[in-house]
Order: sequence, then C-alpha cells, then structure tokens
Amino acid sequence: MKNEKEIVRLTLTQHFFIHNFIQFATHVLDPAIEVHDLVRTFQKRHHEPVRAVDGVSFEVRRGEIFGLLGPNGAGKTTTIKILTTLLAPTSGTARILGHDVVADPLGVRRQICVVVQENAVELYLSVRNNFRTFGRFHGMTSKEIEERTNRVTELFGLREYLNEKGLDLSGGLKRRVQVAKTFMIDKPIVFLDEATTGMDAFNKRATIEAIKENARKGRTIVLTTHILDEAEELCDAVAIVNRGRIIAGGSVEDVKSMSLRLLYLTLSLKTVSEEVLRTIQEREPLHVDIKNNTIEVTVREATAALDVLTAVKQTGSLEHFEISSASLEDVFLQLIDKKASID
Amino acid sequence: MREVLAVVYREYLIRRTSPTWLFFDLAVPLLYLLMFGVAFDKALGHGLRIGEATVPYNAFFLGGVLSMSSFGSAMNQSYGFFVDRDNGIFYEFLTYPMTRGQFLLGKILFQCAMAVIQCMLTIAAGTLLLEINIRWELLLFALIGMMIGTAGWFFFLAIVAFRIRRNDTFNTVINVAYFVLMFLSSMFYPLDQVPSWLRAISRMNPLTWQTDALRFLTIGLGTFSTFLLEALGFGAFLLLSFWFAVRTLQKAL
Repeated sequence: MKNEKEIVRLTLTQHFFIHNFIQFATHVLDPAIEVHDLVRTFQKRHHEPVRAVDGVSFEVRRGEIFGLLGPNGAGKTTTIKILTTLLAPTSGTARILGHDVVADPLGVRRQICVVVQENAVELYLSVRNNFRTFGRFHGMTSKEIEERTNRVTELFGLREYLNEKGLDLSGGLKRRVQVAKTFMIDKPIVFLDEATTGMDAFNKRATIEAIKENARKGRTIVLTTHILDEAEELCDAVAIVNRGRIIAGGSVEDVKSMSLRLLYLTLSLKTVSEEVLRTIQEREPLHVDIKNNTIEVTVREATAALDVLTAVKQTGSLEHFEISSASLEDVFLQLIDKKASID
Repeated sequence: MREVLAVVYREYLIRRTSPTWLFFDLAVPLLYLLMFGVAFDKALGHGLRIGEATVPYNAFFLGGVLSMSSFGSAMNQSYGFFVDRDNGIFYEFLTYPMTRGQFLLGKILFQCAMAVIQCMLTIAAGTLLLEINIRWELLLFALIGMMIGTAGWFFFLAIVAFRIRRNDTFNTVINVAYFVLMFLSSMFYPLDQVPSWLRAISRMNPLTWQTDALRFLTIGLGTFSTFLLEALGFGAFLLLSFWFAVRTLQKAL
C-alpha cells in the first residue's frame, strides 16, 4: 500500500516536471517572430499599385540575430515598418512573441525597440534629455535612466556630448545617440533598420559589439543592412529580399552554399607565363583575372581547385596561394543578378 | 497615464528650450485684446447693442480672443507634427509602448495647461487694464472651456496634419481655413446684426460655439440654454475629431 502511494506521488511529481518542462520548451521553441505571406501594396493616384512586400514569409527564433538583406527598394524597410506597427499589411499575418501586429499593436510595441531608418533625435533637446525622454517613454525610473545613460554613453563614446543639443550634432553622432537609446532598455526584440549608416569605424564596431552582447543575453535582433560583411559577421540567419520577395533564406552558411560551391584561388607566381595560363585554361575555370604576377581563378568544387593548384605547382612558378570560399556578398550579388536577368 | 505623462514631459522639455516661443504663446492673445480690442472699443464708442443689453466691445471681444488663442495654440501644436516628421522622431514615437490615442492626448495636455495660463493672463489684463466685468464664479468653467476648445481644435488640425505631407501646403490650408472660420463666426461681431445667410453658416461653425460658450462663462452674455447646446455641440466636435485623428494617425504613414 505504502509503495503504491509512493509510486503515485512519484508519478505525479514526474508528471508535474514533465508538464512544466514541455511548457517551458514550447515557450522557448516558439519563434519570436512569425511572418506569413505578408503583402503590402501602395497605390498612388493614376498609377498602377506597387507591391512593395509581395508574399514574404519567415520565422525568427528567440535569441537569434536575423538579417533582412536586399538592394534599395527591395521591401526591407516596409517589412520592418509592418513588424514594428508603423504600417498595416495589405494581407498576410505577422506575430511578435505571439502578438499580432494588426490585432494587438500595443502588445507588439511593449515587446520591441526600434532604430528607424530616419535619423530620430530630438533636435531641440540635449543628448542627456534625449535619453531622459526615451527612458520615460519606456517606463524607467529617474535612477534607472541615470544609470543606463551612463552605461550607453560610455559604450558609444557620447559622454562629452551629453550637454550638446541634437541640433548641433553631426549626422553620425545623431545616429549614435539614436542607436545608444535602444540599448538603454531591455526589450526582448530589437529592430535595427540600417543602424550603422553614417557611423565611423569606431562606432560601427561599438554597435556591432553591443548587438552581439545583447544577442548573447537572449534578445532577438532583426536588422537590415547594405553592408554584407556586417551581416555575415553578425547574423545567425538571413533572408535576401528583392522586389518584395524573399529569394533566398536560411542560416548564413545555407545561403552561402547557394553560391554553387564557388571557390576563389589566388595564385602568386614568379612570372605569369603562357604555360601557366594554358595550364589553367585547360581546366576550364569559371573566371580568370590577372593582376601583375597574381592570377585569381574562380572554380566550382574543391576538386577543381586542387586540380588547378596541382597543375600550376608542376609548372614550377608558384610562390604562394590562397583559397577562399564565396562570401555572403558574392552570393548576394549573384542572386540579385540572376533574379534581374530572369525578370 | 504614465505614457501620456511621458509625452507631456517631452513637450515641456522642448518648450522650455525656447523662451521666445513661450512668450508668444502666452502673450499674443493678451496683445490682441489690448490692441485690437481697445481700438474697436474706442471706434464703437457706446458699445454693442445685443438684445436688450449694451456690452462694451472690449468685454464682447474677450471671448473671441480666448477662442482665437486656443485655436492658435492648437495650430502651433499640430504644426509640431511636421517638425517631428522632419526630425524622424515622429516615426520612432509611434513604435513606443503607447496607443495612438495616448500619444495625441499627451501632445495636447501640455498645450491645455498653456491655454489655462493664457486664459488667466488675458482675463487678468481684461479686468485690471480694461475694466471688464468678469463672472468670477464661472472662472473654473471658463478654464475648462479653454482646455476643451484647445483640445478640440488640436485634434481637428491633427487630422489635416496627418493627411498633408508638406508643411507649406499645411500652412496655406490652415491659414485660409483659420481666416474663413474666424470671419464666419461670432468672434469679432454679434451674429444677430449680420446678414441671415452669414448668420446661418456661422451658427454651424464650432468656433462660434466655443466663442459663445467662453463669452457666457466670462462675461455672462447669452442664455444658459444656448450655452448648453453649443457646449454639447463642441463636445461632440471634440470627440469626433479625436476619434478621426486616431484613425488617421493609424494610417498616417
């Protein structure tokens, strides 16, 4: 009898833990952002309607840094505007931590902070008062505002500008203040629309480090950028957008693998002889570029790269070589170019 | 409430940076009354004959000056949307954790406080310098009337500001509208002495309702039933404007 009771108690305890674990796991595994078949059409008088966002779908996991990449006018900012409740979608759905952007915009706004594409600084207020008003809007106490202002001004090198008015700041400094404000608060989701635009190298680095640190703390970050090196360094996942549609998406490695395994061989030679050139051309590379005593060869697959390398080495003129795979920028340009030629 | 107060705090900080703006906000109605009112008072000499009563023009004009100043405050405040839009901060505001209604309420709450100060300064000057007889027992209601008037016009003008993208177009539209609304109202002259067509149009103008209500609350001119009707009319105008302004702001981008 006693054993039966113990078994029941044990089973209940196990059940309790399993139930809670499932709940916790479901919560953690739920995507932070779910976008399904999002469409936004703009209609100007006497003009055909333009589909700025044309059936975009993607998910962003919690704690992930997600990049929306694409050329100007691709629909990145319109997508961000819909996700941040600045713009209503024409159709489709978007949910931020379970809150629908149309049905519960306030619920969404309570979960997010945003660096909009425009320079958003109070021109008539000092930098300190910019931080104060921002903190107040986000429900911080005066003490918290003071502490966090100290932290972000240190991080973004703004201490000496605290008493300067927004009006007197350069474009890059205004952007710095705008980005710094975002890192004052602990909202679970951060949207950064071209956040590093206009910043110098020092502040770009500070911003990238702040983004990384925040992602490590579990914040989900969605960013748009033109600078693909930045995206490659930061993002866990990306979506490449062109003309309102996602043309490639997934982890950075997944997207890079869409380059059809392109490899770049940089061969430094004693002299660029006819023999070396013929040897390379016989192996039918995709592209050959000669600069002084250096030849850059583009091939597909590692075996082709090895073949070229071995053959050139046998000519006896090879001094040094480097092999690199396609960067995100190569893939991006390739995809955009391919899409343009199809259209 | 915290959200609304955050907007008020922001408006306060910005206004504090410009003493010139502050001065004009507070002193312009006063100057109108002292210059325009005094000149007409002298020109008309024996005052205005309204029904059985004779009212000095200064006293008659006080209600007009007050509604003029609340319209002016609302105009300034709605113009601020263009400044915020040019600065980019407008878009950032709309991503803050507050509703569009809270944002609009916060924007006008500070201006309402300014309107109350304007009203007190103008009434004080009217009493001390122009010897206008004020119904002091209704002063509190007059102050409330100023706040309601400022808010009503602000929400109405906000609708226009959200729909027009260019500030020069907005300025033109608003200045023309202001001119028409002013002269098609009871602001400068009693309506029972104007042509019937003008009277009919003016009776439909919310600026007439506000001016008449403020006139009743400051110098006691008019009947309670007319006051009540016009006050209710203005209340409906305010609520409708607020609702429409929120709707427009939701689609403003």
